[in-house]
Amino acid sequence: METDRPDSQTPNQLRPLACSCSCSILHRSHGSASWAQRETKVLAAVYGPKAGTKKNENPKKASIKVIWKPKTGQIGKVEKEYEMILKRTLESICIRTIYPNTTTLVIVQIVHDDGVLLPCAINAACVALVDARIPLKHLVVAICCSITDSGCIILDPTKDQEEKMKAFINLVFPNTIVSVLPEGSLQEGSETMAHGIMTSITQGAMS
Amino acid sequence: MREIQLPLSQTQKVRLQKALEQLESLSTKVNSDASVIIADSIHVNHEDGVLKGHGTADLNGEVVATLCGVVERVNKLVYVRALRSRYKPEVGDIVIGRVVEVAQKRWRLEINYNQDAVLLLSSMNMPDGVQRRRTAVDELNMRCIFEENDVVCAEVRGFQHDGLHLQARSRKYGKLNRGQLLTVPPYLVKRQKQHFHHLEEFGIDLILGCNGFIWVGEHVEAKDDMIEDQVSQSDSQVLFPNKNCVSLEEQEKNYTILETRKYISRAANAVRVLSTLGFNITLEIIKGIIDLSLSMNLDIHDMLGSEFCVLVAEKEAERRSSMKKRR
Repeated sequence: METDRPDSQTPNQLRPLACSCSCSILHRSHGSASWAQRETKVLAAVYGPKAGTKKNENPKKASIKVIWKPKTGQIGKVEKEYEMILKRTLESICIRTIYPNTTTLVIVQIVHDDGVLLPCAINAACVALVDARIPLKHLVVAICCSITDSGCIILDPTKDQEEKMKAFINLVFPNTIVSVLPEGSLQEGSETMAHGIMTSITQGAMS
Repeated sequence: MREIQLPLSQTQKVRLQKALEQLESLSTKVNSDASVIIADSIHVNHEDGVLKGHGTADLNGEVVATLCGVVERVNKLVYVRALRSRYKPEVGDIVIGRVVEVAQKRWRLEINYNQDAVLLLSSMNMPDGVQRRRTAVDELNMRCIFEENDVVCAEVRGFQHDGLHLQARSRKYGKLNRGQLLTVPPYLVKRQKQHFHHLEEFGIDLILGCNGFIWVGEHVEAKDDMIEDQVSQSDSQVLFPNKNCVSLEEQEKNYTILETRKYISRAANAVRVLSTLGFNITLEIIKGIIDLSLSMNLDIHDMLGSEFCVLVAEKEAERRSSMKKRR
């Protein structure tokens, strides 16, 4: 199915990585990265691992704390949800047994939002973790797909397109071979991956 | 090929690419599985009883990388050395820092690390050279020794609860003036036996800080100002004269002659060229670049041009290949 896009992209085409990805851009952080997909731009900084974990965290494992900073205004319910999703995603890619009873702080600053914000933030956070030399099981890549009223699937929608869509889904894949294997479900350590998908967030009616 | 931000013509691009390829082929550590990214498999012989070090993990009986970097092998130990862009201090490192704050009994220095370093008043030789306890008067006169924005050379003493501690208890350390401070990526400065260099033929000093700060300045005779006889208590309480308020005669004495200033600029540009090309910064290479620029009768500002950068890359490739032949 074909659909017209104002940015002259085909439905299955990703927006170009405008200034792509830059590492070590913040001086005081242990690792930092900037990720831009045309107009959407996110800055991620990693501080840690630092000694000590919160009360409800497992002291035998490293914990990750995510702080989401919107471009303007205060943090709301959506941002809190993004924090939780990002925390769970990053915890599943980090080898948390190497630095037990430590906390790694990941701060995500939104510079500009023009759609696919969460995937952009996940990509930026992953690159920042690599820059901070935190041991990871695998790298991750996040994408966003949206479904129009006519049932057409569009990859990487803009902010305007997102608002018109019936539903959209954010998917996170690892870079390891398990992500391309056809088997139904794979056990990766203690994490279960369905068709190699690590995280999937759905909004709206998919059927 | 490494991304080099230079306005190169097509011919220069080809020449530079050829030189860099030659350097790559000469590199001793180049092997097919040297560079790895996260989740890449590392080839090991399990029969030899491999020791898995930093940046590696066992996944289904296979050794995989958990960091992006270069695989290093030391006997049975296999580990991944992360490609660092940030300076990682080690005890004994010679570092150059800029004073950002004069605090209580300490100076805070910016040393290209993710924390400010601390130089305690007690870890510093007094200007009068006397070995004694630091008093409240010494504390009041701290700005007479170093003030904000002063460039200081020191040695990493260790890591304490309040951060990285430095010391400058030798005549070779202390305030640096009459020169240029350059910043390069720290991985270009390798730890060596000697980081203080005196280029006699040019009358300049070169300090290669392990933290990527490089000082090129006029040569200063290191005089040992340790006074043997004890100064009386009353003398030690006298305020130090403010060294920042110097008379015109003293300013004239401190004036650096034009010839030396030119050599300082040449050496600084040589370091900048090496940083642009991503070559390790050593005394021999810097000397070679200065000599090359002088033999070509090149103006100082022309050293930063594309043609000279390409020429330096070619000369470096030549030098390394001749060294390999000699071996």
